[in-house]
Amino acid sequence: MAAKMQHFDPPSSASSESDDAEVCLDEKEIFLADELCEDAEHYRRSDIGTPTPQSPRPPSTESVIWSTCVWQAGCTWFTEVESLCHLKKTVRISKSSQRSPRSRRQRTTSLSQSSKKTSAESILRSKTRTIYTAGRPPWYNSAGQQVEPFVIGICGGSASGKTTVATKIIESLDVPWVTLLSMDSFYKVLNEKQHEMAAHNEYNFDHPDAFDFELLKTTLQRLKEGRMVEVPIYNFVTHRRESRTKTMYGANVIIFEGILTFYNVDVLKMCDMKVFVDTDADVRLARRLRRDISQRGRDLEGVLKQYSTMVQPAFYYYIAPLMVHADIIVPRGGDNEVAIELIVQHVHTQLQLRGFKLREKLAHSYIGQPLPSSLYLLPDTPQIKGLHTFIRNKETYRDEFIFYSKRLIRLVIEYALSLLPFEEVTVETPQGVLYPGKRAATDKICGVSILRAGETMEQAVRDVCKDIRIGKILIQTNQQTGEPELYYLRLPKDIKDYKVILMDATVATGAAAIMAIRVLLDHDVAEENVLLVSLLMAESGVHSIAYAFPRVKIVTSALDPVINEKFYVLPGIGNFGDRYFGTEPSSIED
Amino acid sequence: MGSTEVTSVPKKSSENNDIADAYGPNLKILPCNNQVKELQTILRDKNTTRSDFKFYADRLIRLVIEESLNQLPFSKCVVTTPTGAKYNGLKYQKGNCGVSIVRSGEAMEQGLRDCCRSIRIGKILVESDADTHEAKVVYAKFPDDISERKVLLMYPIMSTGNTVIKAIAVLKEHNVLEENIILSNLFCTPIAAKSLVTAFPQMKILTSEIHSIAPNHFGQKYFGTD
Repeated sequence: MAAKMQHFDPPSSASSESDDAEVCLDEKEIFLADELCEDAEHYRRSDIGTPTPQSPRPPSTESVIWSTCVWQAGCTWFTEVESLCHLKKTVRISKSSQRSPRSRRQRTTSLSQSSKKTSAESILRSKTRTIYTAGRPPWYNSAGQQVEPFVIGICGGSASGKTTVATKIIESLDVPWVTLLSMDSFYKVLNEKQHEMAAHNEYNFDHPDAFDFELLKTTLQRLKEGRMVEVPIYNFVTHRRESRTKTMYGANVIIFEGILTFYNVDVLKMCDMKVFVDTDADVRLARRLRRDISQRGRDLEGVLKQYSTMVQPAFYYYIAPLMVHADIIVPRGGDNEVAIELIVQHVHTQLQLRGFKLREKLAHSYIGQPLPSSLYLLPDTPQIKGLHTFIRNKETYRDEFIFYSKRLIRLVIEYALSLLPFEEVTVETPQGVLYPGKRAATDKICGVSILRAGETMEQAVRDVCKDIRIGKILIQTNQQTGEPELYYLRLPKDIKDYKVILMDATVATGAAAIMAIRVLLDHDVAEENVLLVSLLMAESGVHSIAYAFPRVKIVTSALDPVINEKFYVLPGIGNFGDRYFGTEPSSIED
Repeated sequence: MGSTEVTSVPKKSSENNDIADAYGPNLKILPCNNQVKELQTILRDKNTTRSDFKFYADRLIRLVIEESLNQLPFSKCVVTTPTGAKYNGLKYQKGNCGVSIVRSGEAMEQGLRDCCRSIRIGKILVESDADTHEAKVVYAKFPDDISERKVLLMYPIMSTGNTVIKAIAVLKEHNVLEENIILSNLFCTPIAAKSLVTAFPQMKILTSEIHSIAPNHFGQKYFGTD
């Protein structure tokens, strides 16, 4: 964001447009954050045990405050620039740094380089359809395995420009998914007395005791393991954690910033790279004065009192000594291009060593290989071939398409069920003889459909399994990057105890299926308990999935050899979801 | 594609050979897997509730019907998919119909309807004489042109095969060709199988299991008249 701010023209009538755009952009990001918070509801049972005290929510909602704050920041920016340029030519204040720890702000975010670039059009609308392009990109390597993220710890005094440095690193990194974790989220919940003190500028927010290091440790550890975490949202008005939390995922790179990042030994150990931002004390004081007085209407006395009694001593007692732990000390903060370039180069080297590779490249290396043993293809009967003939024919009307798809789906599901474990039983018959038979070894079976096409298979699962629980995962392909992105997730509770029938109507590259399986594994479902069922798969997709998850059983009624450049299977069915639900672009319909 | 039939292939093929030896090539058994076995187990278990019984019977019926339809003749055809590519498929001929033997055969009608939406369905009512156990046709209603159609004859349980033999006789009276009849059946005894293949060697038979004990409670439990 800091980079964007620099492109701002001096105040003029024309600049108001870019101002609007900036606000708009941030609202989109909020939209995304809220979407991910949706996930929080069913992730909430996660074992990190985020304490969420019953605190009254602030009168207005988070996002409203946030966007207003951004907007104000946008407005005050120009005056800010003018005066600051006089103050010190090289200092650039980012919008983020204008928001002090004391204000309502949300620095803990997940950013994606790809979605950042295109976030202005994160919702594409054409005449007939709406495409959302900002979900969660893959967080695993081509083998479907979690790759340990690279953790960058950024430490530095208050208003030293840590966030600016972090943002600049993210912008230059060009990796798919970066998670930015701020220490501000881990302030302790204040009691009545402390709350009172805070109101009189007497509570020491810069002291190590103000932070919940235990929660911080668990959170960072889980992120480092690629797990999902609930990060508390700290309300600086009530000094409590809000009842809702922010859901974050492990990423390729995790940046963790705060004033005491290196204070805790365990946290320090988790950082793969330690950066200390060393900005001149005068500059830091000037920034604090400016933002506390002009933006928060605080009086000079109060701010100076807080600075001299707490902020400054804390810096010299606790923060400055942490500099010895740093791998790199960045003087002058975000302005130091050379330092940032060095950091970025180092991270790139490290990521390469960790083996992040692009999945698409791997998909093509399987051609001519024997099919994996985890693939279960339905017996090739005339009926199945006949049904395929109906649904593959582009001349087939929708009612017939739906009817024959349903028949085929039923056969696929029945076949899939036969692959579940069974046990021998002997039953008594009304005829008075014993009958040696079989029973399913478990009744803990659930379905999970990959939206949208996978939903077409839900009814068949319900038809064969009474009262089955069905979860849903929405994964969409980002049109710009061609990568799948995760948007929405609702899974049955205790899904880890279940055999999961994962449904998608067609599998081309297998990218969405791999992501869905990865999600299930992240919810502690055992790999061998996953059955991926589909009407049609491309060979390369089967290879990719089987390579990534060899114990997942893959069931399909047909296997096609090729994928075209639009990732459709050939000869294929076309877009199954569009044909089933009747949402084809009109050019095809006529 | 053959390489992928990993599940219980050896067992199945040897079973099929035995069946072919004993009953000729026209009697086929639904490929048995654990899932089918479970359905059969539930239907035979006397402790199965009626609601479960109907639910699982319908599932097995659906599988048997789908497999029976595999016995119908087809021809090759090529279609164009929405991607513009060609698909080498096949299509079925028109002119099929179903015939159910009242009462338990009617349990299989829905399964057929679920696969062929507008198929014509004829009915035959055969009653066995309480004293002589001799089967007697009481009622029969078929599509007019049944003699030109393939007939899917539905009857779930065969212990002696007498009822079905009688029904086929009626069909033949209506000039249905023996080779145009496909008999769909769930449970069959060896005796019934033997007498049917002997009496009608041209007819195709599909069943899910040949077992010496027939679950004769099927109709009563399915329709709830016990």
